[in-house]
Amino acid sequence: MQNRSLEVGVGLFLLAGLLALLLLALRVSGLTFGSFGGNEGTYRVYAYFDNSAGISQRARVAMAGVTIGKVVGVELDHQTFSSRIAMDIDKTVNFLPIDSTAAILTAGLLGEKYIGISVGGEEELLADGGTIHDTQSALVLEDLIGKFMLNTVNKDDKKAE
Amino acid sequence: MGYASTYAAELKGVTFKRGERTIFNDINITIPRGKVTAIMGPSGCGKTTLLRLIAAQLSPDKGEVWLTGKNLPTLSRSELFDMRKQMGVLFQSGALFTDLDVFENVAFPLRVHTKLPEEMIRDIVLMKLQAVGLRGAFELMPDELSGGMKRRVALARAIALDPQILLYDEPFAGQDPIAMGVLVRLIRQLNDALGITSIVVSHDLAETASIADYIYVVGDAQILGQGEPADLMDSDNPRIRQFMKGLADGPVPFHFPAPELRRDLLGET
Amino acid sequence: MRRTSLIERVRLLGRAWLDVVEAMGRSTLFFFHALFGARTAGSGLYLLFRQLFSVGVLSLAIIVVSGIFIGMVLALQGYNILVGYGSEEAVGQMVALTLLRELGPVVSALLFAGRAGSALTAEIGNMKSTEQLSSLEMIGVDPLKYIIAPRLWAGFISLPLLSAIFSVVGIWGGAMVAVDWLGVYEGSYWGNMQQSVDFHSDVLNGVIKSMVFAVVVTWIAVFQGYDCESTSEGISRATTRTVVYGSLAVLGLDFVLTALMFGDL
Repeated sequence: MQNRSLEVGVGLFLLAGLLALLLLALRVSGLTFGSFGGNEGTYRVYAYFDNSAGISQRARVAMAGVTIGKVVGVELDHQTFSSRIAMDIDKTVNFLPIDSTAAILTAGLLGEKYIGISVGGEEELLADGGTIHDTQSALVLEDLIGKFMLNTVNKDDKKAE
Repeated sequence: MGYASTYAAELKGVTFKRGERTIFNDINITIPRGKVTAIMGPSGCGKTTLLRLIAAQLSPDKGEVWLTGKNLPTLSRSELFDMRKQMGVLFQSGALFTDLDVFENVAFPLRVHTKLPEEMIRDIVLMKLQAVGLRGAFELMPDELSGGMKRRVALARAIALDPQILLYDEPFAGQDPIAMGVLVRLIRQLNDALGITSIVVSHDLAETASIADYIYVVGDAQILGQGEPADLMDSDNPRIRQFMKGLADGPVPFHFPAPELRRDLLGET
Repeated sequence: MRRTSLIERVRLLGRAWLDVVEAMGRSTLFFFHALFGARTAGSGLYLLFRQLFSVGVLSLAIIVVSGIFIGMVLALQGYNILVGYGSEEAVGQMVALTLLRELGPVVSALLFAGRAGSALTAEIGNMKSTEQLSSLEMIGVDPLKYIIAPRLWAGFISLPLLSAIFSVVGIWGGAMVAVDWLGVYEGSYWGNMQQSVDFHSDVLNGVIKSMVFAVVVTWIAVFQGYDCESTSEGISRATTRTVVYGSLAVLGLDFVLTALMFGDL
């Protein structure tokens, strides 16, 4: 009798531990079994950015704040010296017009970078392997500060004159 | 093989050191088969160490330990474990497994080494417990037993596999007179009834002398003397006489080696 | 009172070092013999089960309770800092990453050393001092296989599971504070977490860490028990050593492992 409760206790403990590992994998890290198997439920779309600073693999692709896919590759295009980003978009979102725009956005002030897609007006839709042409690059804080400083200096110069 | 039939165990020129201290220096002991041999000596002279040498829990720095025709220091670990099935040891504290009850303690060697059916194990265990007079206590846990009863259960466990040699480590230490009497009787009975070779390590003079056929007195890393109990009592050797008669001062001094008392007290250097 | 000359001191220092090296060698041999030595009579899976119970199941309570509280505190502290930047949504991500990468493996290993490790040392030390180990040996059963090995395996299996449970419970405790109490939007608590937590670099690395800790802590605990002086004082000293060495080893190794896994070395 005592032996039995011991075995049940150990069994429950092992189950709880394995369940915890499973929860960590699925619920916490958002690992889905699909992501092992490749791209069955998604289609591939490319976009060229002048500057894609802050975007890396697994970055979120969102539309109106809803995640619709993820970034699967970031590489330098040797012809245009711009950044070519490959995204896997969920098959259920198959109504993106070819003149949709992609922008690199930041979640909150310090949040991570993600790609936001807004819908265009064309009838023709993006297919697997299609490219988004209308893009807006990442906001680089250093550039912004640089411009601001330059403006201030210029203003000061004008005042001095 | 000639001696193997008369001697159950033999130590030849055994030297054992612990750190830089020599516990035994080139000692020779022969243990006759089927007899009760006692190894005696003052506390701290290494009696238990000697027992562990015979049981091969320690191995000597030099010399040979022969047991039933095998030289222990040359055996491999697994051969040793095999060898030990023929040996039973009664430890000073009894060493019962505290998480098992009396029955399971005695059954343990049988379960581990044999594939006997449960009913047979039960019969053997009850017989062994009967031999030590504790059949009625088979359901108790070790911590419910008195010291003497623990030792008797441990004895039942030691004889569970019908060993050829039984080693007793201080079987009488810290026992009341009744328990002591029971143990004395048991050791003698087991020895005679089962034809076991018994080796008793002890410093309890009267009890040991009453059951031993032959006694070795150990001290100062050597064998001080040997013989039958009566002979040793009348020994001329002052060291043996001091031990056998229980004198406070003699060749083994009462005082631990120290500078002269007057010098220590007056603080002279 | 006694004056020691310089040479004597150097000699003592050398002796102390030799002792340390010897103990390391002894513990390594002990470890490999227990795990990979020949099987002894009487060993079996049921021994492991009994140890899993006393090492793993009996540690569950302390792990779950501390996990909840640590998760709650993390959420509370994180919220108070993040709200200043308007990024309180990131609290889920912060709680999860902190727990998975660091606090889960480390704190559960420390608790394990205190709860299960000390119990293992005391138990084995006690068996040694009451000659139960010697008596096993004399019955022809190798105590390294019969007593030590199941305890080692039980520790190896239990701690990673315990630390996974610790992390899950902590994240749940964090959600309780952040979502139910502080009013962070539930979707962003979990969503932010899922985006930023990577299975390989965070979850798996945390599990690997706790596996390493499991080996080290259990090894120390079991060896200290087996190697202790067989007096009641010796056992209590060995138990203290288990907790101290175990904790220090966990914290030191944690730095090394973190540098290997997350630092660009």
